[in-house]
Amino acid sequence: MLLKKAKAGALLDAIAAKERLFVPADDRGTSRFVAYGAGVEPRFDLLNTKLPPKDLLFPATETLYRWSRDGADLAIDSAFAETDPFTVFGLRPCDMASVDRLDAVFLTKGYVDEFYQAKREAATFVAATCAHPGRACFCDSIAASPHEAPTADVLLEDAGEEWVVTPQTEKGASAVEAWKPYLEEGDAEPIKAACDLKVDMAAVPEKLKGMFDDPIWSDIGDQCLTCGTCTFVCPTCYCFNIDQDVREDEGKRFRCWDSCMFTDYTAMAGGHNPRASKESRVRQRFMHKLTYFNDRYDMNLCVGCGRCMRDCPAAVDISLIIDRIAASEPAQEKEAMAHA
Amino acid sequence: MADVQDIIRERAAALLSSGEVSAVIGWGVGRFDDVRFPLVVKRAEDAGKLVFDASCVQMTAKRLLEHTGDGKVALVARGCESRAVNRFIADHQLTRDQVYVIGVPCPGMVDPATGETLKRCAECQVRNPVVHDELVGDPVPEPKPYRFAEVDRVEAMSREERRAFFDEMYGKCIRCYACRNACPCCTCRECFVEQDKVGWQGKAFNVNEARYYGMIRAFHTGDRCIECGECERACPMGLPLMVIMHQQVRDIDKLFGPYEGGGLTDSGPDPLRTYKTDDIEEFM
Repeated sequence: MLLKKAKAGALLDAIAAKERLFVPADDRGTSRFVAYGAGVEPRFDLLNTKLPPKDLLFPATETLYRWSRDGADLAIDSAFAETDPFTVFGLRPCDMASVDRLDAVFLTKGYVDEFYQAKREAATFVAATCAHPGRACFCDSIAASPHEAPTADVLLEDAGEEWVVTPQTEKGASAVEAWKPYLEEGDAEPIKAACDLKVDMAAVPEKLKGMFDDPIWSDIGDQCLTCGTCTFVCPTCYCFNIDQDVREDEGKRFRCWDSCMFTDYTAMAGGHNPRASKESRVRQRFMHKLTYFNDRYDMNLCVGCGRCMRDCPAAVDISLIIDRIAASEPAQEKEAMAHA
Repeated sequence: MADVQDIIRERAAALLSSGEVSAVIGWGVGRFDDVRFPLVVKRAEDAGKLVFDASCVQMTAKRLLEHTGDGKVALVARGCESRAVNRFIADHQLTRDQVYVIGVPCPGMVDPATGETLKRCAECQVRNPVVHDELVGDPVPEPKPYRFAEVDRVEAMSREERRAFFDEMYGKCIRCYACRNACPCCTCRECFVEQDKVGWQGKAFNVNEARYYGMIRAFHTGDRCIECGECERACPMGLPLMVIMHQQVRDIDKLFGPYEGGGLTDSGPDPLRTYKTDDIEEFM
C-alpha cells in the first residue's frame, strides 16, 4: 500500500477526527511533536525535531498525587488517569528506538510505571524512514537503521513522492485498515541512503569499564558547560526528580525531568556532593549512555539521533567521544605499558 | 585570519613550554569543518589544535574561572572575552596577574547555520580587546552598530502584545541553564536556582517558572552585563534573551548614565551596586 505525501493531509484530518494526533511541526522557531489541528503544518521533511517525542510518554512535569487537609482529615488522591488513544505520526527510526529504551526503563525489571504504561498503551506509533540521513545522524552504527523501525505499529518507508505503508503490529494493522480510503494499491522502491557518520561501538561498553579515571573526562569537562541541553533534547534521557507544590491546606507531588549535568542532581542532605566536579558529571552521562545501560538492558542508551551534538552550546560531540573511547588502549595494557 | 591563527599557535606553544601559563583557552575544530568548540590546551605540543577564524562562535571566557587555580592561564580574547576578563576582575573572581590575555581584534563571526554575521557580533560595540598582554593582528574599526532595534520593537508593542512576546519566549524555555553557565556575570558559587532548601525556583517546567528564572537572572546581572550576547547564542531554543539585557543597559544609561555596558574597565562602574553619599536619591 502507498500513501501519497501530497494526500497525507486528508489522512491526518481523518485520524485527528477520531483521536489525538501528534506530528512533527515547527513551534515558535523550534520544532517538536505538536497536536495536529488548525494551523499546524506537519514537517515530514525535518529529519528529527528539535525536541524529542519523549514528553508524549514521559511529560516534563507530571503530577503524581494531590493532597488536601481539612482540620484533622487528610485526603490523598492519585493523579493517575487512563489515557485516551493517540497517534504519533512521522517519528523517525531513532526516536522509535528511543521509545524501546524508555519501555525498558519504565516497564521492565520488575517495576511497571503506571503513568508511563497508560500512555504507552494508548499510543500508536507511525514511524517514517529517513531517505537521506543528516550529517549528525549515526543511528545505523549504534542503535537502529534509518530505514527500519521494527517496534513501530506502522512503518512508512520513504519512496520520494510517497510512502510505502506496512503495518507491523496488530494495532498497526487495524490503523491501516481504517486508513484504506486514503491509500493506494501499488508498490514503490524506498530510498535508502546510509548514514555518512559512523561510530565503532563494538568495544566501547567494555573499554569504558576500565576508563573511570581516564583523562578523557577532564578534557570533555573543559569543553562542556554542564548545562542541561543535551539531556533535555535527548530522546532517551529519562532521569527525573520528585518535588512538591505546597499551599496552606493542599498540595501536589509531581515528577519532572532532571539532568545529571546539574550540580544539585547529586546534592546530598548535609551538603556533600559526590559529583561536584564537571568531569565527574560528564563521565556519568557518557558512562550511563554507553556502558551502564548496556549492562542492565543490553542496549546502548544512545540512539544516534545527533540532537545533543547539534544543540550543544559548546559543541560537545558524542560521536567524537565514542571514537576516542574506541581508539583508547584498554586499562590493563596502559598499566602494563607504564610498568614496562 | 590565517596569520593570526599561526601567531596564536606559536604564542600558545611558547607560553606553555616556558611554563608561564598552565593552559591556553581558545577554540578547536569539531568533526565538521564549520564546528568550533572552546578548547583548553595544556601541552605545548597541542597548540597546533588551536584555530582562529570566522567560525569561532563561542565566547570562551567563562572557562578561565575553572583553570586559574592551576596557575596563570592564557585566554585568546576578542573584545567580548576581554570585557569578560574585566568583569571577572571587578567581581573579584580573579586578579589581573592570574590571566595572560592574547588579544585579537575581531572582524565579527559568521553563524554557520545561516552564513550571516552572528547576531551577537552584528550588535557588538567593542571588537578590539579592552585589555591585553599582547595584541595579535591589527586593530579593526569599531562600527558601533545600533543594538537596540529589538528593544525598540518590544517597547512599541501594546501591553497585550508585549505579554504575548514574553509568554512565547519563556514558553519555549527548557530551563537548561545554558545562558547562566555561559554568562561571565553568573559567577555565584551557588545559584539561587540551586538553593533547594529556600526553594526560590520551582522544579516544574512551565512558563511561570521559566519567566521567574529569566527575570531574576536578568536583574541579577543587569548592571554588569558585558553585552557579549553569549547567553542568547548558547540558548538551544533561540530565546531572544539580549532584548532584556539591552533594555537594562539603555535604562541604566538613561537613569544613571552615561553608561555603555559592563566590563569596559576592571573596576565597574556597576551603577546599581555603587554606593555614593552624594547620590541623587535623598534617602541615601
